[in-house]
Amino acid sequence: MNDTNLIRDIERYLEGDMNMQEKAAFEALCQSDPIVNEQLKAHQHITAQLESYGRRLALQEKMDHIHASLDMEMLRDAAAPAPARVISFRRRLMTNVAAAACIALVTSLTTIALIQRANRQKTTAQYEDVRRVLNNIQRSQNALINDINNKKKVPANPGTYGGTGFAITDNGYLVTNYHVVAGADSIYIQNTKGEAYKAISVFEDISSDLAILKITDSTFRSQPIPYSVKLQKALRGEKVFTLGYPRDEIVYGEGYISAQTGFNGDSAAYQVSIPVNPGNSGAPLMDAKGDIVGIVTGKQTTADGIAFAVKSAQLKRLLEEMPKEKMGKWNHKNRLENLTRVEQIKKLEDFVYMIKVYN
Amino acid sequence: MKHNLNIERDRELLLGLARNDDKALSTIYVENFPAVLRMVLQHKGSEDDAKDLFQEAMIVLYEKAQTSEFDLYSKLKTYLYAICRHLWLKKLQSGNWQLSLPQELEAVLPADNHMEDHDKKDEQFRIMEESMGSMGEPCKTILEDYYIRKLSMADIAEKFGYTNAENAKNQKYKCLMRLKKLFFDKYKL
Repeated sequence: MNDTNLIRDIERYLEGDMNMQEKAAFEALCQSDPIVNEQLKAHQHITAQLESYGRRLALQEKMDHIHASLDMEMLRDAAAPAPARVISFRRRLMTNVAAAACIALVTSLTTIALIQRANRQKTTAQYEDVRRVLNNIQRSQNALINDINNKKKVPANPGTYGGTGFAITDNGYLVTNYHVVAGADSIYIQNTKGEAYKAISVFEDISSDLAILKITDSTFRSQPIPYSVKLQKALRGEKVFTLGYPRDEIVYGEGYISAQTGFNGDSAAYQVSIPVNPGNSGAPLMDAKGDIVGIVTGKQTTADGIAFAVKSAQLKRLLEEMPKEKMGKWNHKNRLENLTRVEQIKKLEDFVYMIKVYN
Repeated sequence: MKHNLNIERDRELLLGLARNDDKALSTIYVENFPAVLRMVLQHKGSEDDAKDLFQEAMIVLYEKAQTSEFDLYSKLKTYLYAICRHLWLKKLQSGNWQLSLPQELEAVLPADNHMEDHDKKDEQFRIMEESMGSMGEPCKTILEDYYIRKLSMADIAEKFGYTNAENAKNQKYKCLMRLKKLFFDKYKL
């Protein structure tokens, strides 16, 4: 059996052209001859392949036809959202970047602003510090001056100084602090009525910080002095009061004896708790009866409510040292004892003078 | 409901495709090609790439549609798109731009056993195409006329000027034998 005949038979078998007899014979042949069987399979395969090949070709042809009929322009436009999407994505990216940049800008500006503000505040604080330092310097200078004052030295500052003084005799002798009149070119005194008189310093004691002034004006007319100088020591807790000129008007202040010694343990002075201010220097310190127990000299700047007054014993010593003939009698009878404080002051204020020093 | 209706419509189209209904083929082609074109263009492919890719996917679909066991379980559009992605991925991997593989495609490679089938069929098609290409005339046309276009031997005999169908048949057998030899040289059963 040649190949052609075999193929013919295979095809006839597969296409059903064989009669029953032939078919049975062919199947028997296939069973017995593997080569024939193989040929049959190969034939089936190749024809199937040919058919599918053909179908596929036809399909491709049809699809090409369909494809050719497609409106590619329109499809390209429809597919264009791809690049458009890229652009929109870029735009979104740009928006995000812009937003981020804005936030960064705002943040940095805010930070800069805050830092600058903080710096400014710091500068203000520094300025205040500087001012406080200056104040400190001022205060320490004051303290220094006070120290100097306490050491009975001449105030360094030129110009006008003010203090207080009180009459000690009927004929125009006054007591005040040495530091008030120290280095003075001229001294004027003024009473509560506003009458001013010229005075000179006639006796000074640096150690007790006391000075005796004499009114040189002939117009001066004195009155009898209603208080005496108390020679006994005032006791701790004893009520005292004072009249002075911390300003242009006479000012009353009261307090008590705090201690028997003064600044830095000075036994010639009392520590007094009484409101005193610059200008009070030389003011009389009086007890409840209205007698002189001391002369206000100064205060401690580093603590509140601490003032110092020279004891009246120092005044007595000073007065006794003075040439007697010049001065009148200084120990008078107290005429204020049974008066109320208001009445005492009313009588006293005529004998307390503001002392103005020009140098 | 709508989803089910769409599936029903897709099944109708698929049946039409299997029956070689030109209208069904055209409908599927026109409706699904734009999505694939967009995908390919997005991934820096050309329009011709898109055409080749889509037509190959259509062939896969066609082959599947002809097997009775094929049942469409997802939308036709999804199915075609998945196949196209798979083919595109394969093409990118086989090319020399392996490194620039788009992340989106890299992520999901549809586990599709359909594709193995298709690869086998595709191989056979290529061999057949080659074999048929190396067949001379009139063998090629006779085989095509008989086995593909299903013309009768009488018509073929008349077309090619054979005196009778029997001569034409003998010629056809010779041609078939040559094709068999060419085909099975490259393809082992």
